[in-house]
Amino acid sequence: MLEYLKTGFVLMLITLIAGLGLSFVYNLVKEPIANAELGAKLQAIRKVLTDPGSGKLLVDKNTIPETTAELKNFEWEVKNFEAKDGIIYASEDGKGKVQDPVYKFSTDDNREIYVLTGQAVGYGGDVITVAGFISSDGGISLNSIKVIEYSQETPGLGANISQENIQERFYPVSNQGLSENLKVNKDANVVVSENEIKEYRNERGIIQVSDVMTGATITPRAVTTSLNAMYEFLKKAGAE
Amino acid sequence: MASGNLKTLTKGFVSENPIFVQVLGMCPTLATTTSAVNGLGMGIATTSVLIMSNLVISIIRKVIPEKVRIPSYIVVIASFVTIIDLLMHGFVYDLWKTLGLFIPLIVVNCLILGRAESFASKNRIVPSFLDGLGMGLGFTGALILLGIVREFFGNGTIFGVTLSELKLFAMILPPGAYIALGLLAGLFNFIGIKKAKMKKSTNK
Repeated sequence: MLEYLKTGFVLMLITLIAGLGLSFVYNLVKEPIANAELGAKLQAIRKVLTDPGSGKLLVDKNTIPETTAELKNFEWEVKNFEAKDGIIYASEDGKGKVQDPVYKFSTDDNREIYVLTGQAVGYGGDVITVAGFISSDGGISLNSIKVIEYSQETPGLGANISQENIQERFYPVSNQGLSENLKVNKDANVVVSENEIKEYRNERGIIQVSDVMTGATITPRAVTTSLNAMYEFLKKAGAE
Repeated sequence: MASGNLKTLTKGFVSENPIFVQVLGMCPTLATTTSAVNGLGMGIATTSVLIMSNLVISIIRKVIPEKVRIPSYIVVIASFVTIIDLLMHGFVYDLWKTLGLFIPLIVVNCLILGRAESFASKNRIVPSFLDGLGMGLGFTGALILLGIVREFFGNGTIFGVTLSELKLFAMILPPGAYIALGLLAGLFNFIGIKKAKMKKSTNK
């Protein structure tokens, strides 16, 4: 009997010390973790607010938020939409989703930029993309994207979506391209030659990826699905 | 004693290599070695957990009651894995993101529990530390080697540097992990057997 008690007591002691140590480390790294998460988010927002052609910021440099509180000022109150479990809108086919909150920025020349976070299921789990849409006289166009979550995709294949030269294939897209619904070139049954990539994207919404992401169609398809959902949401939410 | 310590350190490199000879910790080995960099990151994370758990288990080996030694090891190992996970999340965010799910899975890496049970629980602090370091380095080296082979054949690159146009995608996918691991383990054992035979014939 005594031995059982002693055994249990020693195990409890070990667990207790381990728990204390863990809580100490947790408190120590809580701030760096929050900073790292926020930093990654702000970096993505900054990127989609940058003009991909000239590399210049579309909004005033000083307005780029640097803290959570500053970021909150840019949240866009959308009428008729209610966020549920962090999701504000699911596309008609239910495949693409838009996360809450959505942000709204104004450019120097008084155009609106909507920064949305969209998700769709890839090979293993959700692929999450941050995208910047510009609204102008010609309708809504896609400025730039940044894929921020792809940890469930196959390393070396689908996870290559993290590479900048691959993400560049997705943007910018004109209003016409967006209204045609974005799709990867395999789903459109075409292979686009190098110098026509831009035309196909802007006129027919076809994203050429099969040459840079051979053998991995599911991941880029998830990105286009989430982009389509975001565009659908913006139209319904009355973005002009 | 000094040569004994040296042997404790180096036995994990080739003769008792955790992956190719002992065949321990196969889950992270197969899953994370799609590229050399991933193998390196996983190897370093595992090595740090292994060293710390070996140290602590060696220190408290006389306190742990025989009957609950496995739960005690698991508590120690799980704590260190969580600490590594938290630290990587805070300070090397990109690597943490790439390795994703596999860091928490270090807890169930047989290599760490195996070393705790078969070495750290029976030896003093210094040898236990060296054993952890040696086994960890052997594990890391094997992961990098496997990563290099798979990355080269699957993507034509090594550590991200393009070397050829070769793209055998199967090598990056799970089947390639089994094929590469099998061939490398075969090679290591072939060398081992040949060495042993040579020793035998010279003895005669």
